[in-house]
Amino acid sequence: MTISNLIFKEIIHRKINFILGLLAVVTAVALFVAFVTTGQAYRRETRRVMRDMGQNLRIIPKETSIDKFWSDGFSEHTMPEEYVHRFASLEGFSYTHLTATLQKKVVWRDMNIILTGILPEVLPLDKRQQKPMTFSVKPGTVYVGFEVAHGLDIKERGVVDILGRTFTVIKCLSRTGSSDDIRVYGHLHDIQSILNLEGKINEIKALECLCLIEDENDKRSMLAIAQEQLAQILPEAKVVLVQGIAEVRQKQRAAMEGYLAFLMPVILAVCGAWVGVLAMVNVRDRQQEIGIMRALGYGSGRIMLLFLAKAAIIGLLGAAAGFFTGTALALNFGPGIFKVTAKAIKPEYVWLAWSLIVAPVFTAVSSFIPAMIAITYDPAVTLREE
Amino acid sequence: MVVLENVVKTYRRRRGDVKALSDINLRIEKGEFVVVCGPSGSGKTTLLMTIAAMLRPTGGSVCVEQNNLYTMSIRDRAKFRAENVGFVFQMFHLVPYLNIIENVALAGGVASQSGGAVKANELLKRLGLAERAFHRPSELSAGEKQRAAIARALFNRPKIILADEPTGNLDPDNAASVIGYLSEFHHSGGTVVLATHGTEAEQFADRIIHLHNGSIDNSG
Repeated sequence: MTISNLIFKEIIHRKINFILGLLAVVTAVALFVAFVTTGQAYRRETRRVMRDMGQNLRIIPKETSIDKFWSDGFSEHTMPEEYVHRFASLEGFSYTHLTATLQKKVVWRDMNIILTGILPEVLPLDKRQQKPMTFSVKPGTVYVGFEVAHGLDIKERGVVDILGRTFTVIKCLSRTGSSDDIRVYGHLHDIQSILNLEGKINEIKALECLCLIEDENDKRSMLAIAQEQLAQILPEAKVVLVQGIAEVRQKQRAAMEGYLAFLMPVILAVCGAWVGVLAMVNVRDRQQEIGIMRALGYGSGRIMLLFLAKAAIIGLLGAAAGFFTGTALALNFGPGIFKVTAKAIKPEYVWLAWSLIVAPVFTAVSSFIPAMIAITYDPAVTLREE
Repeated sequence: MVVLENVVKTYRRRRGDVKALSDINLRIEKGEFVVVCGPSGSGKTTLLMTIAAMLRPTGGSVCVEQNNLYTMSIRDRAKFRAENVGFVFQMFHLVPYLNIIENVALAGGVASQSGGAVKANELLKRLGLAERAFHRPSELSAGEKQRAAIARALFNRPKIILADEPTGNLDPDNAASVIGYLSEFHHSGGTVVLATHGTEAEQFADRIIHLHNGSIDNSG
């Protein structure tokens, strides 16, 4: 008779107790796995939504007057285009999706437009795998804002002459209700050329991705962090943070993390108590069995092992079943909740390994007090009771 | 040999202390069959548990085979019990989820004896339970359960068997059979201390001790 034999036979004998214990662990692990699996999707979705809100960081020449900048919508000064490449060549910063632009108000065919040159998005060295979030314009082509296209009757595939150079209209943009409606977008180098500002830009737009900042204890403001980082890279520029977008981004992430931080301890505490109560019931049911074992010379260690090993088995089986249940829940219900990133919801197998390690420890800890009570039973008392 | 000197056992209860054993002095020789008689509550079970190294007396000393039991560590007392003492209880106390052969072999400890099943089977044959070896306790009659409990008690070839009302739940035939097995153990050189409030074991006893209110009654 091995100890494992004894445990398995007892499990089979007291199926209900075992099944209820297993159910507690399956519930805890399944909810945890479902939350973290969909939580990953939530993060991706949040990132995606925030990205769609646009770049939140505007880097402009240092001499720019801020009042003028806001009244014009861009800086009247320029800085070297090379800055964007210098900016992108550094690793370990939290900026990404860098777009160098040159903007200038001009009158074209009796209409005030903002001529906007865009360089295809530059990704920092350590983020080259990211997909661009802004559109790019090929040399010799333009994208025309809604009001311009509508007012000047410009059609896609048409050819237009802008300040002496001919461009093919690739796209007429839909209405945005912003200054973008009076923009004409071209490749940066084309716009530099027609404005006689070769090698110049007046803004680098970037996404300040604070999720990349690893030090969670850094309580400084986002702008302070951005300025400090920028000062190291481009001392000749200054940074403007679009607070609205940045704050929404931060609040969104904080809300989700707060939600999980509240829910998970509650789930774990309830399930831990559940396992503990069941272990206590099991100990009470087995008083006489424990008594006879003690009478037969079984030491405290072996008797404790009977309970803790059983708890660990419940934890192990519950972890495996809970992982697959939680993953199935996430895969079934996640896509309905996170529609944008539905396809990105996939099993997170790293949590299977963690569940298999943590759940048995968790159940053994929950059963520890009942096991201690079991070894303190006085066999002389339990064996005398009829 | 079992020697009890000035053994006192008092249970502390909310409504006051209950003296279960009062200044017991007793000497049981090796190979002796002793019957402890007395009404319910006279202290018979407490006396047996004290001799079994399972219940520390409030005062006095208990020596079994020259081991002063309650100066030993808990671990050593458990080892002592496993090696020297066999138990038979009125309520049998068989583990319900193990079959009979496993119940008997349980006395050998877990993972301790590869030949445990063979030895248990031999004992079951001796006690006429070979055909019941793979049955659960719930499938056995009271007499069969008690014989299985005796087989378990004999498994480790103990020096002493402590039997607490072993016939209390049995019909006369089965009671006689159980006493017979204990007597057989006694004739093979073992010591038997049997607590009962009946008279069926008296004919096998070398000595009868009467307990009354926790004291040995020497008047009879």
